[in-house]
Amino acid sequence: MLDRASTFSDPTIVELLKTKFVPVAIDQAYQRRQEDAEGEFYRKIALQGPRHDFEGSTTQGFYAATSSGRFLFYSNYRGPGGEEGLIGELNTALATAKEAHEVAPIADGELDRRYNPRPPKGGLVLRAHAKVLHGYDPPVDRFQKIFQEGLGRDNFWITAAEHDALVRGELPESLKLRMVRFHFVDNTRGEPPMWERSEVRALSMTLKDGVLRGAVSLSTADGKRSYDAEMLGYIETGGRKVTRMDVVVRGLFEGRGEYTKDPPPGKFPLAISFTIADGSDTADAIPPQGSRGWVEGYFE
Amino acid sequence: MKIRNLLLSVSVLTGCFSLAASSGFAELDQSDFEVLHESLKPDSTEPWRQIPWRISLLEGQRVAAAEGKPIFIWAMDGHPLGCT
Repeated sequence: MLDRASTFSDPTIVELLKTKFVPVAIDQAYQRRQEDAEGEFYRKIALQGPRHDFEGSTTQGFYAATSSGRFLFYSNYRGPGGEEGLIGELNTALATAKEAHEVAPIADGELDRRYNPRPPKGGLVLRAHAKVLHGYDPPVDRFQKIFQEGLGRDNFWITAAEHDALVRGELPESLKLRMVRFHFVDNTRGEPPMWERSEVRALSMTLKDGVLRGAVSLSTADGKRSYDAEMLGYIETGGRKVTRMDVVVRGLFEGRGEYTKDPPPGKFPLAISFTIADGSDTADAIPPQGSRGWVEGYFE
Repeated sequence: MKIRNLLLSVSVLTGCFSLAASSGFAELDQSDFEVLHESLKPDSTEPWRQIPWRISLLEGQRVAAAEGKPIFIWAMDGHPLGCT
């Protein structure tokens, strides 16, 4: 969130990455654990940098490397002068990136299925966006302002059986629960905590004549994090497929997670929208955050 | 809290549940829907979206090898094109 509106809003950095580098964006929680060719290549690069405890803490940051895996630089600084610093690192990397030999492409090989989930065949992928509508105290600096204006993004995966049910005008319980547990979250400032099944205190969702209406009450046992919201949506079908599934959710959220600090004080309005992902955005192919490390649990 | 949870449990069991009052808003209508759905669309002109990000590191390696370019990796906790 922070990098999008700071580092990657700098026109020089954008131009360098567009023209001189091959830019790759990853959730390193996957690659640092993957037992396959991609995991090996990532760890080969990261091992040469300062963060290489692959079982323990994060290895997050910016890396540059040659196609052979030769480390060029690592950076994780976003404070004042960060953009200028990164421009310098990128230019230095370019000057030293030339390989003395031709580098062979690395084949995918056998994938580590734990970290390569694919959208369900015959199912649907919906884009889920979340935004805090208002309620923040005035930001103390530009970085806090970026978080306060952040738009969360995730993908909601729907199975083939659920897709078929939607075409028949039905709303399966599995779809309702997955939607609220993993996607009615405040992911506008970082990785959010999901909801346990027991934290779904009330859930009503109906589909009639293509109109989806519903209400939900989510709360942790201690009441420190909660979301009471309503939803309205429209589902259209054609050719035995769902051709439109646009839903909005609006309600009052309270609380924070370990990685979503500094929410607005008290209860604040949080809105979430869903729409079918058409594959035109690279992010359409990202697995749901809630499936991370245990895709079976996401579909449970 | 216990009374609230009990009432909510009854609501779930009966399938009869509306939060228009407790969610702090009037019931969502067509107009709210259109405004909210539009306002939650990402801005396609944001500079970071102009960068041709790939989400496969090996695909990036293959392109880098073919084009003789270095790889830049934006590695985060949570996917950087998603929530972080």
